[in-house]
Amino acid sequence: MKGPGKLALHAGLALSFALAATGVLAHSTVKSAGDFYAGVLHPLTALEHVLPFVALGVLAGQRGQPAHRAVLIFALSLGAGACLALWLKPVPGIAMLNIASSIIFGGLIASAWALPILLLNSLAILFGLSHGFANGEAITKEIRAYLFIPGIVAAGAVVAVYAMIAVDYVLRRKPTWLPIAVRVAGSWIAAIGILVLAISGRAILKS
Amino acid sequence: MGAIGRKIRLVFAVAFLFAPALTAAHVGQGDVSGGFLAGVKHPIFGFDHVIAMVAVGIWGAQLGPPAIWVLPVTFPLVMAFGGVLGGLGVPIPGIEIGIAISAIALGCMVAFAVRPPLWVAAVMVGVFAIFHGYAHGAELPDTANAISYAVGFVVATGSLHAFGILLGVANRWRAGARSLQAGGGLIAACGLYFLVSHFVAA
Repeated sequence: MKGPGKLALHAGLALSFALAATGVLAHSTVKSAGDFYAGVLHPLTALEHVLPFVALGVLAGQRGQPAHRAVLIFALSLGAGACLALWLKPVPGIAMLNIASSIIFGGLIASAWALPILLLNSLAILFGLSHGFANGEAITKEIRAYLFIPGIVAAGAVVAVYAMIAVDYVLRRKPTWLPIAVRVAGSWIAAIGILVLAISGRAILKS
Repeated sequence: MGAIGRKIRLVFAVAFLFAPALTAAHVGQGDVSGGFLAGVKHPIFGFDHVIAMVAVGIWGAQLGPPAIWVLPVTFPLVMAFGGVLGGLGVPIPGIEIGIAISAIALGCMVAFAVRPPLWVAAVMVGVFAIFHGYAHGAELPDTANAISYAVGFVVATGSLHAFGILLGVANRWRAGARSLQAGGGLIAACGLYFLVSHFVAA
């Protein structure tokens, strides 16, 4: 088994372990399982997180097999970022950085540039940390961080891996307009990010 | 099957594991659907935008590759840039006139099936994209959910391009090509109407 298949297996195993942990603990109280799902849902119910997750998956799928690892690097960085949020004070402007990730990932997809893998992985780490941090800031004293954070990681892995596999599959098809459709999707993602920055920027200027 | 089959099965297995979480997801975080619908409506219910966007798609289809993809890839980005200018209130005079002229110009390009060099087409569409984006940006609501609004907005605009490109498929047949040119003339006429009515109202 090669490429996305192997990667999907790794992702699946990682998820199974994450889920197994909650499975064991689920016997104590229902709420402990709830914290894991709360961690899953926190990024999934906010488009400003889902969109860049999807964008990274699309970018990795478009770039081809050597880029596939970036998705897992991203998911792990999410966890690291969320852990950082436990120690550090809230960082102002982290939301803007997260929106900027949509613009950067979307712009890279639209350009279809064969970007160096090292750069892709660095972007995955940087924005994994920033998105993880923003989600980790939601952890209150009542929430068990050791369940919530794996939930964030699982959500990021599932969304990005799904997107990557979908794009990988699409780009193996015959019609020549499909790669163009992927680039147009990237252009849309970047445009959405720019518009959101404009709306948020105006809100800040007005306040 | 093989690797891909295993992969797909794995993905579905994971999806089922998550299904209980998704069914319980009545968290109601933000007003996603409201912002999205407002964003979709904005370009689609402004007829001056609709005809210009469709004209971009048809013209791209007439020009063929690479214009057919250069125009829809660059337009959303440039339009978003115009949206930033409009949202931040950077003064650009004559936006409504520019939008009406964009419909006239793009309609004429389609009507006469003009084939300029790619960069001329790209610059022309780019300038008009700034006008359209600016008009949308100036009217951006202070919505609770900026991102769902932006998603709806970009998806609606892009879908109008896609609609134009689909119409452009008719360009393969002689009668279809003639119909497209007639449509371009209609778009230019609408643009002229918007231009005149702007001056009459002023």
